[in-house]
Amino acid sequence: MSYTLEIQTKARELLTSKQVECVIGYEVGLRGRTRPAFVYDAQDVERLVWNQACTHNLTTYLNDKLNPQGPVKNKTKEHTPGRVAVVVKPCDSRAINVLLAENHFPRELLHVIGVVCDGILEKVGQSGNLRSVRQLPISDLSQVQSRCQRCEGHMPVTYDTLIGECPSHQELSLGKANQADLIHIQAMTPAERAEYWFSQFDRCIRCYACRQVCPMCNCPTCLYERDDSLWVGIRIGLNEKRTFHLGRAFHLAGRCIGCDECERVCPMNIPVSLLNRMLAKEVEALFGHRAGLAPIPPPFVTVLSGS
Amino acid sequence: MKLTTREGLASWLDSLAHEVNLIAPRDIEGVLLYRPVKSSMEIVLEFINPVLSVKEAFFPATERLLTIEKTGQQITLNETLPEGKQVVFGVRPCDARGLKVLDANFTNTEPFDPYYTQRRSNTTVVGLACHQMSPTCFCTSVGIAPNDPGDMDVMLYRVEDGYIVQTVTKKGQALLSALPLETKELSQNGSDLHNSYIYDQAERVPVPEMSTWLAHFRDIYWEQVAERCLSCRICAYVCPTCRCFSVRDEVLSSENGRNQYERIRCWDSCAGEAYRRIAGGHNPRPEKGQRLRNRFLCKFVYYPRQYALGYAACTGCGRCIDACPVNIDITEVMQHIEEVSQ
Amino acid sequence: MYEPRIIGYLCTWCSYTGADTAGIARLKYPANLRAIRVPCSGRVSPELIMRTFDQGADGVLVLGCHIGECHYDTGNHRTAKRLPVLHALMTFAGLEPERLRLDWVSASEGERFARIVNEFTEAVRMLGPCQWWQNGNSRQQLNHQDSLESIPFSKLGG
Repeated sequence: MSYTLEIQTKARELLTSKQVECVIGYEVGLRGRTRPAFVYDAQDVERLVWNQACTHNLTTYLNDKLNPQGPVKNKTKEHTPGRVAVVVKPCDSRAINVLLAENHFPRELLHVIGVVCDGILEKVGQSGNLRSVRQLPISDLSQVQSRCQRCEGHMPVTYDTLIGECPSHQELSLGKANQADLIHIQAMTPAERAEYWFSQFDRCIRCYACRQVCPMCNCPTCLYERDDSLWVGIRIGLNEKRTFHLGRAFHLAGRCIGCDECERVCPMNIPVSLLNRMLAKEVEALFGHRAGLAPIPPPFVTVLSGS
Repeated sequence: MKLTTREGLASWLDSLAHEVNLIAPRDIEGVLLYRPVKSSMEIVLEFINPVLSVKEAFFPATERLLTIEKTGQQITLNETLPEGKQVVFGVRPCDARGLKVLDANFTNTEPFDPYYTQRRSNTTVVGLACHQMSPTCFCTSVGIAPNDPGDMDVMLYRVEDGYIVQTVTKKGQALLSALPLETKELSQNGSDLHNSYIYDQAERVPVPEMSTWLAHFRDIYWEQVAERCLSCRICAYVCPTCRCFSVRDEVLSSENGRNQYERIRCWDSCAGEAYRRIAGGHNPRPEKGQRLRNRFLCKFVYYPRQYALGYAACTGCGRCIDACPVNIDITEVMQHIEEVSQ
Repeated sequence: MYEPRIIGYLCTWCSYTGADTAGIARLKYPANLRAIRVPCSGRVSPELIMRTFDQGADGVLVLGCHIGECHYDTGNHRTAKRLPVLHALMTFAGLEPERLRLDWVSASEGERFARIVNEFTEAVRMLGPCQWWQNGNSRQQLNHQDSLESIPFSKLGG
């Protein structure tokens, strides 16, 4: 059975038996583009699909659905939470562990439909910045997004239903891509690095899409958007933009699971994930912690061990 | 009709770049944007549309309105109006129409905005007709066309031998008199001009009447579409006609008892959750569905009605469709509203 | 003549008192240090440090109690974890690593305090003025008004 059919079948079962009130998955829109879908009715499950354009991290919608009384940065409407099911890729599933560790919602309210994923296609730009994704089978590595090329775990780390089979090591030749871009920057002098980042952030328009799409960025009022400009002003200027991005990266240290959606949504192609990846390596080196493999708190929340 | 060659255009642009601040489409690390250029070599001539619209040259993302100096009890204010002549080159009809829409708010209505108005009067708009429509373009549905010169000062049409040059306004005429562009008369007549532009007439998108939009104000549709909305601000920031902003006084330096502040305004968007929050904490649009609905109604009802535009405030450029991370599609919304009203 | 402006975040219970001890013992340390007293070094957050550099500091020194001696038990644990990561981040973004330092000074260690401040000030002096904050709104200035040259940015007041 194709993944699409399996997901539809499971969704129908969950909705009919009222185990969940909503299934968050993917659908294809009128232009042929894949996008998030919220299915409430068993009759609508045929909307759900799985394809190689399912890039979105759907866990970003969980807080709104499951913890509406708590701090929510992006409310749909007031309601009492019922159970929801969510379709997740292996990277997205790690986000669930981080959200659980931070007590956003109880695990029982969530039914995780985990998908064994072999990679999502790169967005195809055309002049005019069209974000369509080709619906083709993967024949060579370079067509897949960079984060997929770096993926080390093709199995969801948490799931209630598994779509697909646990991959054997031979089948998956998607290995660790090198982090050459990180090494390149670390080899620069401080002045060169500063110039590099200024030239990247120059294009930034502080649209905050990177922050909004991130499941882990869920402060109701972002520190960098305060009305009193306490930490950064509202100017869409170089210094402010850099402070926002660095500050956000720091707040995600040990929490970012590397879905790189922040980079995908950026309308200006800013390599935001570089900062997150650098910090992930740093946190792993210093504290031996990798985000999302288990629902344990990130290192900054705990005290030094042995004390 | 006058024709100029590619070389003629290039050398004209070079001399223009010396005289004024020339803003044209440039490739900045793989992203196409309207940016100042120093020579014609930097300009991209084959493109659909830059990521941000040309409104940035008139209504920048951040603008200092005035500086405030406070020494003891003495307060001095200094207006910081924009100076310098500009030419924006390579403007598409959708963006030029966008400027007309912004004019209605900033320039044509009291109190008029001196910053925008000054830039507008200091700038000449040189357009470039589109050779093709992208899948997300729908300018023809909202009353303009890819080769429409109506909102430009000078209009260029690329043809096989070069570019046809059309002077549209007095301001355009003044620019060409001050800095002549080498042209020769064309033997063909004007109708050939339009014939050389054949557009894939994509299906027109229906533009519902204002009353139709309002009749569906309370539909659950808005909440359903907005469920995937991230409340980022991309749609408003890339839009040629979105013009909401936030104003704040911020601290500059202070030296020897002389405190300095600036009043700046920056782009903002009604899609943001905090946008409509007022003193006291009340927010009339706390839910995404309400904010999404507001954005569309502003384009098709509120703004055209308030300024008696005569056309929708949406210019059909399609940038929001391209840029939205979750594929919220304005044409889909327009079609839906039209369908449910049948 | 360039004199580096150093901001020091000193925790009330240990390092600030350590600075006092240095003063009482008439130990010399450079006047470049501007001390800001905080209840605990754990209060020093990354956004605070970044704001400090944004406003023109040439160097930032964070001094807390030795591990195990924090008045609030584990406040300095937070700092011990956060600062190295912040350091790595800001270095990655182009700040010279010598400009940010975390160290531990107890209330009686006046000499240690003076030595650290001396060392740090000299290290920062050798680097020259900090270029973290840069003038100008953008690299690709869209229009003339974007540059902020008309108001001099004087670092941290006269």
